[in-house]
Amino acid sequence: MNLPTSLRFLRNGLFALSVAFAATVATAAPSPIFDAHLHYSHDAWEQLPPKAAIAILRKAGLVAAMVSSSSDDGTQKLYKEAPDLVIPVLRPYRTRGELSTWVNDPSIITHLEARLKANKYAALGEYHVYGADADLPVMRRVVELARDNKLYLHSHSDADAIERQFKQDPQARILWAHSGFDAPEKVREMLRKYKNLWCDLAFRSDHAQSGKVEPGWRAAFLEFPDRFMVGSDTFTPERWHFVVEHANWSRQWLADLPKDVAERIAYKNGVTLFSGMVKR
Amino acid sequence: MIAASAFAQSIEFSPEERARILSHGPWPAVHELDSSNRVDGNPIAIELGRKLFSDHRLSASSKRSCASCHDPKRAFQDGLRSTRHQRNTPTLLDVGQQRWFGWDGATDSLWAASLAPLAAKSELAATPAHIAALLRRDRTLNVAYTALFGEATADAANETILVNIAKTLAAFQATLVSPRTPFDEFRDALAQNDSAAIAKYPSAAQRGLKTFVGEGKCFFCHSGPAFTNGEFADVGRPFFTKSGADPGRWGGLQQLFTSPYNRLGQYADGGAQSAVATKHVIQEPRNFGEFKVPSLRGLLGTAPYFHDGSARRIEDVVQHYSTVDESRLHADGEKIVRALRLTPAQARDLTAFLKSLSGASSRKSK
Repeated sequence: MNLPTSLRFLRNGLFALSVAFAATVATAAPSPIFDAHLHYSHDAWEQLPPKAAIAILRKAGLVAAMVSSSSDDGTQKLYKEAPDLVIPVLRPYRTRGELSTWVNDPSIITHLEARLKANKYAALGEYHVYGADADLPVMRRVVELARDNKLYLHSHSDADAIERQFKQDPQARILWAHSGFDAPEKVREMLRKYKNLWCDLAFRSDHAQSGKVEPGWRAAFLEFPDRFMVGSDTFTPERWHFVVEHANWSRQWLADLPKDVAERIAYKNGVTLFSGMVKR
Repeated sequence: MIAASAFAQSIEFSPEERARILSHGPWPAVHELDSSNRVDGNPIAIELGRKLFSDHRLSASSKRSCASCHDPKRAFQDGLRSTRHQRNTPTLLDVGQQRWFGWDGATDSLWAASLAPLAAKSELAATPAHIAALLRRDRTLNVAYTALFGEATADAANETILVNIAKTLAAFQATLVSPRTPFDEFRDALAQNDSAAIAKYPSAAQRGLKTFVGEGKCFFCHSGPAFTNGEFADVGRPFFTKSGADPGRWGGLQQLFTSPYNRLGQYADGGAQSAVATKHVIQEPRNFGEFKVPSLRGLLGTAPYFHDGSARRIEDVVQHYSTVDESRLHADGEKIVRALRLTPAQARDLTAFLKSLSGASSRKSK
C-alpha cells in the first residue's frame, strides 16, 4: 500500500463513509461498527461460503471489517466478494495449527513475501508472539516486511513482545490484539509510551459488563479515545454466527460512553486508520 | 506418598492428588433444599411430582410426559444422539446438585427447568389453562395440590398453578440420586487408610484416576462429589447446527435474564437470598459456544456424550481430550483444555477410571 494512494483512498473512504453514515442515521439502522478482528479460515469458508459470510457482516451493520485467515485464501475470497467492506490482513499461518510454531519456521517468510507480491493488504497479522520470541529472526523479518510495505502489525502479544517490536522499528504501527489481555492501567502506560500503538478489544469483556463500562477502562477510553477499536474474533467458524450479537453487545456498552468517544471506538478510529483499503 | 494398591503395579498418589481424590466425596452428597421452591423436600410434593412425571395427560396431545425423554429405565435420559435444539437429553440423576440447568443454563432452578419443556411447543406443549384444567378435574391430584399450595379455585391464576406443578416435579427430580460406585468405595477407603479396601479398586482405574487428578487436570472442571463445577466451558467440540450455530451459554443467559420464572421473578420463593448467583451472573462474548460441564457419575448409563451427543462411547470422549484440536480453542481463553496426547495404555486407564464412576446396575449391562 503506497502512501499517496493510501491517503487518496482514505480521503475518498471517509467521504463515502460520511455519506453512508448519514444514510444510516436517516434510516435508523444500527449505529456503525468497524470490526478490527475477524478470521475466515478454511473451515469457515467450508461451512459458510463468502456470500453468506458477507451477508452476516452487513446484517451486523459493519462499515468495514479487518479480515485475516489461515490460509490467506479465505481473506482473498471474502475481499473479492465485498471489496467495499473487507480490509485484507495477511496472516502468517498457512493452517491454523501453525499458531504456536510459525515463529520458528523460516518458510513463513517465503509465504508472506509471495502473498505480498500478489495482493494488497492493510496489515500483517493477527499473529501470536510473546516475550523474547519477538526477537527471533522470523518475527524480525515480519517487522521489516511491515516497514517496507507500509503495513500495520496486528500482534497478539504481551506488552514485552510489543516493546521488542517497537525497539526493532520505532516507526512501526501496531494494533495490539485483545490489548494483550492486560489491565487498563498497563494499556494506558503503553499508549502513553508508543504513539503508534492502537488497541483492539476483541474477546475480552472486563472493560464492560451488562452495558456498563468499568471505571479503569473508562479512564483509558477517555484518555485515548483515538486508539481503541472493537473486534469480534471469529477464531472458530461457528463464531461467525456471533458477529451480529457481538456488534449489538458492543453498541450496548459503547452507549455508556460520551457519544463522540463511543463513535470513535465504534468505527471512526478504524475508518481513519484503515479505510484506504476499502473500495467504495 | 501413599501406596494405594496391593496389585502388581502399586499406584502412589501425592498429598495434593490424595486431597483432590477425597474432594470427590463423600457420596451421596447432601442435597441442600432449594429455597426458591417452598415444597422442595416435602413428601407430598415428591409423591405428586413422581406421579406427574410419567403422566401423559400433562401434554397437549396426551401422548408425552417428562418420562418420554427422561426415561427412568435409561438413567432418566433417552440414549439418542440429539433431539430438541440438536442437543443431547441430559440425565436427571443428581440434578438436585446443580445450580444452572440444561446444556446452556437457561434456567436457574429445577422448577423453572421443569417448566420449560412443559410449555415448549416441541415438547409437551401444555398451556397453563390445560394444566390447571387437569388439576381441577382430577380429584387425587387436586387433593395433593391443595395440601401443598391451598385450593386451586376457579379464581386461582392458571400461571401460578402451572408453576406450582413444576415445583412438585422439581421436588421429585431432586430425589434422583445416582448410586454409589467402585470409585466411592476406593475414595472412602483412602480416607480411612484401609489398605485392604483400597486394593479392591482395579489398578487400571487407579492409574486413570492419577491422570484425572494430575497431569490431565480433568478435576479442575469435573470437581467435587458430583464431578462438575456446575459451570460452562468450550472444550473444542464443533457446535454448528442446521440453521447456524448453537449459542450455548450465551443464548442461555439471554433466556435466563428475560424469563419471568428466574429466581429474581415473582414466582420464586425465598426472596433475594436465593437469587444471589442469578443477580450477579454476567454475559460475556466467550460464553458463545460454551456448554455445561456435565457430571461424570453414571457415565456407563448415559451415552451418548457431549452437548450434541456426538460421542458414542466413553472411549470416544477420552480420545477427544487426547487429541483435541487446540486451534479451536482461543489462545487466551480455555487454558485448561489442552491435548493430553495419551498413549493407548493411558487412554485405556482413563477410560477404566471413568467407567468406575458408574454404579453396579450400569456396569452389569455394559
